[in-house]
Amino acid sequence: MKLAFLFPGQGSQKPGLLNELPACIAVENVLAAASETLNESIFNFHSKEALASTKAVQLSLLTAGVAAFKAFEAEGVKADFVAGHSIGAFSAAVAAGVIDFQDAVKIVELRGELMEQAYPEGYGMGVVLGMEAHKLQALVDYHFDEKYPVFMANQNAPDQITVSGALSGIQKVLDAAWKNDARCASLLNVSTPSHCPLLASVSDALTEALHDIPIHRPVIPYAGNRRARLLLDPVDIRLDLAESISSAVQWHDASTVLYEKGVRLFIEMPPGNVLSRLAAKAFPDARVLSVAENGFDDCQFIAKRERLK
Amino acid sequence: MMEATKQVVNQKRSWTTRLDAKKKRLESVKDLVNGLVIPTDRIVEAMEKLIRPGDRVVLEGNNQKQASFLSQALAQTNPKNLFDLHMIMSSISRPEHLDIFEQGIAKKVDFAYAGPQSLRMAQMLEDGKLTMGEIHTYIELYGRLFVDLIPSVALVAADKADRHGNLYTGPNTEETPTLVEAAAFRDGIVIVQVNELTDELPRVDIPGSWVDFIVVADEPYELEPLFTRDPRHITDIQILQAMMVIRGIYEKHGVQSLNHGIGYNTAAIELLLPTYAESLGLKGKICKHWTLNPHPTLIPAIESGWVDSVHCFGGEVGMEKYVAARRDVFFTGRDGSLRSNRTLSQMAGQYAVDLFIGSTLQIDRDGNSSTVTRGRLAGYGGAPNMGHDPGGRRHSTPAWLNMMTSEDPLARGKKLVVQVVETFQTGNKPVFVESLDAIDVKKDTGLAVAPVMIYGDDVTHVVTEEGIAYLYKTDSMEKRRQALAAVAGVTPVGLTHDSKKTDELRREGIIALPEDLQIRRTDAKRSLLAAKSVEEIVEWSGGLYEPPAKFRSW
Repeated sequence: MKLAFLFPGQGSQKPGLLNELPACIAVENVLAAASETLNESIFNFHSKEALASTKAVQLSLLTAGVAAFKAFEAEGVKADFVAGHSIGAFSAAVAAGVIDFQDAVKIVELRGELMEQAYPEGYGMGVVLGMEAHKLQALVDYHFDEKYPVFMANQNAPDQITVSGALSGIQKVLDAAWKNDARCASLLNVSTPSHCPLLASVSDALTEALHDIPIHRPVIPYAGNRRARLLLDPVDIRLDLAESISSAVQWHDASTVLYEKGVRLFIEMPPGNVLSRLAAKAFPDARVLSVAENGFDDCQFIAKRERLK
Repeated sequence: MMEATKQVVNQKRSWTTRLDAKKKRLESVKDLVNGLVIPTDRIVEAMEKLIRPGDRVVLEGNNQKQASFLSQALAQTNPKNLFDLHMIMSSISRPEHLDIFEQGIAKKVDFAYAGPQSLRMAQMLEDGKLTMGEIHTYIELYGRLFVDLIPSVALVAADKADRHGNLYTGPNTEETPTLVEAAAFRDGIVIVQVNELTDELPRVDIPGSWVDFIVVADEPYELEPLFTRDPRHITDIQILQAMMVIRGIYEKHGVQSLNHGIGYNTAAIELLLPTYAESLGLKGKICKHWTLNPHPTLIPAIESGWVDSVHCFGGEVGMEKYVAARRDVFFTGRDGSLRSNRTLSQMAGQYAVDLFIGSTLQIDRDGNSSTVTRGRLAGYGGAPNMGHDPGGRRHSTPAWLNMMTSEDPLARGKKLVVQVVETFQTGNKPVFVESLDAIDVKKDTGLAVAPVMIYGDDVTHVVTEEGIAYLYKTDSMEKRRQALAAVAGVTPVGLTHDSKKTDELRREGIIALPEDLQIRRTDAKRSLLAAKSVEEIVEWSGGLYEPPAKFRSW
């Protein structure tokens, strides 16, 4: 049975999240490496107050994902595939061996800073449930306005899609979605219009920064955010990491590719269970676990047992 | 002069190039094989010699049985030695079926169904990683194996072989004989993976003279229990629909021979035969002859004496002992086990039965239906073979004749093609839509035709929770659309319906509501099911049905 590790993105954070990582040397090493690179304790980034900053959130998520991955590795649990949502893609790239963790910390620090600075106010994201992509796309096209642009963003499930852009544009789309029988349409509590062309400048800066660090061939195939392809060329993965922030994340397709490749056990790295819930709904006959809900010990026990099948 | 030219031509040309090429290939592995047997651990090496770049390779795999050992071995061959293969596959189901394209071993594909790999299919087509031949129904693909897609190599699966290459395929014979025949009788090479090599076979399903090589697989071929429906999941609405179908279609037209889809709504019909249909005195009048896999949900009807005969496309995991113990009903071999044959059962289901009934995901206002999803490339399989009125049919049956609506002396009957759907799918998606997603899929993927599963002009009846639309009775496109809209509920298509027209359509017999069929909605209860769970099906079978673990909740 094939196993995939999933790395969550922004929205999964919670105060004190690093305290919930399994206690082992592999985890301690990752935490220490993060602190060393940042010249500051990584534990300064996961408090309730600190998590108000996008940069702190992203650094905490990156560290938690990689630390948990290393803990599994130390136990001898190896994944056949990895995929991460948005910032989680950086954790996945580290897990795949494409970029080094300390380089990832620097790049993610930059990513967080650039995102915070990009659109201080008047921009954000919304989510629409219970409406198919092509119908929502039609509403987005109809309400697009140069002054208050709005874009389709992440496709998390066939009926769970985010929109991104100027708040007034988003609001128009959400109102129209309600009128057109969406099950739910609401603003998200984020102030950055992520995963749309408004963040093209962040992608450009990341492209440059990523060119300055070494990249390696993945030892585990990586499912990309942008086109939901399984990527084996490190150059393609680097491009995916840079472009993801200004492109829609095709998460449903990316996880579907893993399923079609034979994955029947998905384990979501901490914190949270957003991705495992999506996977459980999309693939009813697959086994889906999250470290947050099932605990590290159960996850690694089941992974070892299922791998023998 | 003429004579002389003929002689020159005949002298120049060899008429045995295919056989010569085959002999050369067989010669190339003579140090590797032991008689007919390829050692398990040398299969990859043998494939690299027996298959050549550019070959047309038919790889066995459908929605049930997969030549999984051979497909995995093919994926391990070196693309430097083996490339540009043209694959012919009934079903693209397993990851390595597409890995061989990613690795450059294969290039072109002709297939019937790709549901389990439908996203990767769409991606790889878009990325130019595979070249698309055509998408077929099963019968079309089998047909082309004997015309313009004749395979150079056949890679198939059997349960057992003996030292002479005779094969036992048992209950899961499926399409193996067809694939082997196409290669074996035109000097192609036939390689068979078997679960077991044995001295004595229970029976011979494929004679050894059709087979070139056998290889014992490291594990048994993959087999999916695809036709098992747990009655626990059948809803009251599906029971209401089943009652309408029994009264308003099977009884009304005297349907004696038929094929069922694999949905819960048709499982409900099977489970109402010994109860509801029995109470209407219909036993012996309807549902006697089936082209159908051994559906566990048919057991109560068989046990109650409803069923004369069943011919199967394939087997069903867990039904082996039951089938063997009911050989008056099923096709069985001398050894007692089921003999299935996908090609012949598809053909029978297309030409010889009164009725097909199945479900779908989308129906447009003209009655065309499709199961495709945007961004996916899933193909067809067998449903369009069953779900279509073969225009060349000559023989008549009462139900077929009952579809005649004209006094024309040349008038002919029609096969009954029934779609049974609830007006909304789960997730609040309407089934009745203005335009099929299939049209977008055609545009996005550059297909030659939109992937319509069943064409509207073949559909005779549509059944929803609202009622039955007797489309075969309509004499104009406008009337047809009215009839469909009248049973389409509050979907976009249903909302175009003028409810004042309903009574007129009822009077004309173009639609029927449950009350027109003397069915009370409140009577449609799960208590009508002859078996309400898998355990109860096992009880009906006297313990002969042995459900796979995933269907055992006790």
